[in-house]
Amino acid sequence: MADTKPQLISRRSLLRSAGAVGAAAAVGAKGSPAATASSHESQLTPTGEQTSDNKQPRYIFEQLTADEAELLEAIADQLIPEDDLGPGAVAAGAVTYIDRALGGALSESRDAYHSGLAAFDRYCRSSRDAPFLELSHIDQVSVLIDVETGAATGASTGFTGSSSSFFSMLRSHVLQGTFGDPFYGGNQNFVGWDLIRYPGVRTSVWPRLQTQLEAGELSPNHRSAYDSEYFEKAVVRTATKGTYHGD
Amino acid sequence: MQPTPWAYTVASPLLFSLLIHPLSGQNLIHEINVDSPTMSSGRVMPRDYTPDGHNLSPPLTWSNLPTGTKELAVVCADFGAGSPPPWTHWLVYGIPATATGLPTGLPILPNTPMPTDLVGATQGLNGWNRPYYRGPAPPAGTPHLYHFTVYALDKTLGLTPGLTREELLEAIDGHVIGRGDIVPIYERF
Repeated sequence: MADTKPQLISRRSLLRSAGAVGAAAAVGAKGSPAATASSHESQLTPTGEQTSDNKQPRYIFEQLTADEAELLEAIADQLIPEDDLGPGAVAAGAVTYIDRALGGALSESRDAYHSGLAAFDRYCRSSRDAPFLELSHIDQVSVLIDVETGAATGASTGFTGSSSSFFSMLRSHVLQGTFGDPFYGGNQNFVGWDLIRYPGVRTSVWPRLQTQLEAGELSPNHRSAYDSEYFEKAVVRTATKGTYHGD
Repeated sequence: MQPTPWAYTVASPLLFSLLIHPLSGQNLIHEINVDSPTMSSGRVMPRDYTPDGHNLSPPLTWSNLPTGTKELAVVCADFGAGSPPPWTHWLVYGIPATATGLPTGLPILPNTPMPTDLVGATQGLNGWNRPYYRGPAPPAGTPHLYHFTVYALDKTLGLTPGLTREELLEAIDGHVIGRGDIVPIYERF
C-alpha cells in the first residue's frame, strides 16, 4: 500500500517529529481524573448514535461543519495515511481531536480553521477545477505541496497570510491528534502510540521492564496518562474565555 | 517607441541573468535548440505549469545536440527571485543522450519511475528543497522569466539524486559541451 499511495511527507519524518509529541503528551501533566480508552470514547459521543457499518458510536462535530470535517479528514488522510505500518490519522480520530480542541484549548484557532479551510477549498476549485475530495491522489498531493510551500498564496485564494502558515498549523494539530494522549479525543485505540511503538505512560519502571524496553519486547499498556493518579489534565487559559481544562 | 514599464520589469532580470549566468564565461558553446509544444520564449506559460493550475512540469523538446553528447541536464530557474537569486524550480539530470525531450508531468511521488526513455534520469532539489518540479508563483503584478536551460555533457557523470542547483552546476563544470534554453514568462494578478 505504501507503494501505491505515497505520502506527502515521508512516514519516517512524520514519526520522527511525532515521537516528541507523544512523549510530551505523556509527561505533560500531573494528578488525575482517570480515563480509560473505553470511557474516553464514551465522552466523545454525547448522543450515543451508532454508525451502520460498525458499532462504534459516531462523534458529532461541534466546532467544524460537516463539510469542514470531511475536508479536514481527507487532508489528514493524506498527511498520515493508513499503510503497511498501521492505521493513520483518520483511524486515530485526529479530526475529532481538532474539533474538540477548537472548543477549548485551541479555540483561538477556530477562525483560522474556518477561513483556512474555505481558502483551501477555493484554491482546489480554482487551480484544479474540483473540490479536494474529488481530486485524484496525485492532485491531492500536489495541492498540499502548493499549500505547504506557500505557492497557493495569492489574491485569488484568500488565505490569510501565507498558505504555508495554515498548513503548518493543520499539520501540527493532525500530529497532536494522532500521537497525543487519547484523553483529548485523538490517538483512538492507541493507534498512534502503537505506530511509533510507544509502550505507554509508566510511573515506575523496574529493571525487568527497562530490559524489555531496550529489547523491544515491552508490551504497550494502552493507558492514558490520566488513568494514573499522578497525572491531571493540563489547565490552559485563554485571553478571552477565561480558564478551561485541556479537554 | 518607448518601452512600457512592463518591458523594463521583464528586461531587468533577463539582463541580470545574462550577466551572472554561471557558464557565461566559457568559450563559444554549442547552441542547443530548445523548444516546447506548449511554451515559447517571451510568452506567458500555460497556468497548468504553475500552482494556479495543476502544477505539472512542462514538456520540453530539444535538437541539435553537439557530437559527443553523453548525457543531458535541465535546470529551471527564476533569476528575478531568490535570496540570493536565482530561485530554482526544477532540476533533472542523468538524462540519456538519446532523449529528445521531457514529457509533461514528471513524477512528484516517491517511488514513481521515470518514463522508459528517461531511465537513469533523476530530479534534484528545487528552492523548496523538494526533488520535483514546482512551477512559478511570483508575487501578484510582477511578471517573472523562467529559464529552462538544457545542458549537453561530454561524460556520463553518475550523479546522485537530490543535488541542489549549485551542486549540479559544480558537478557538470568542465563537461558542458552544449547549452540552450527557452524562457517563458508568468505573472499572477
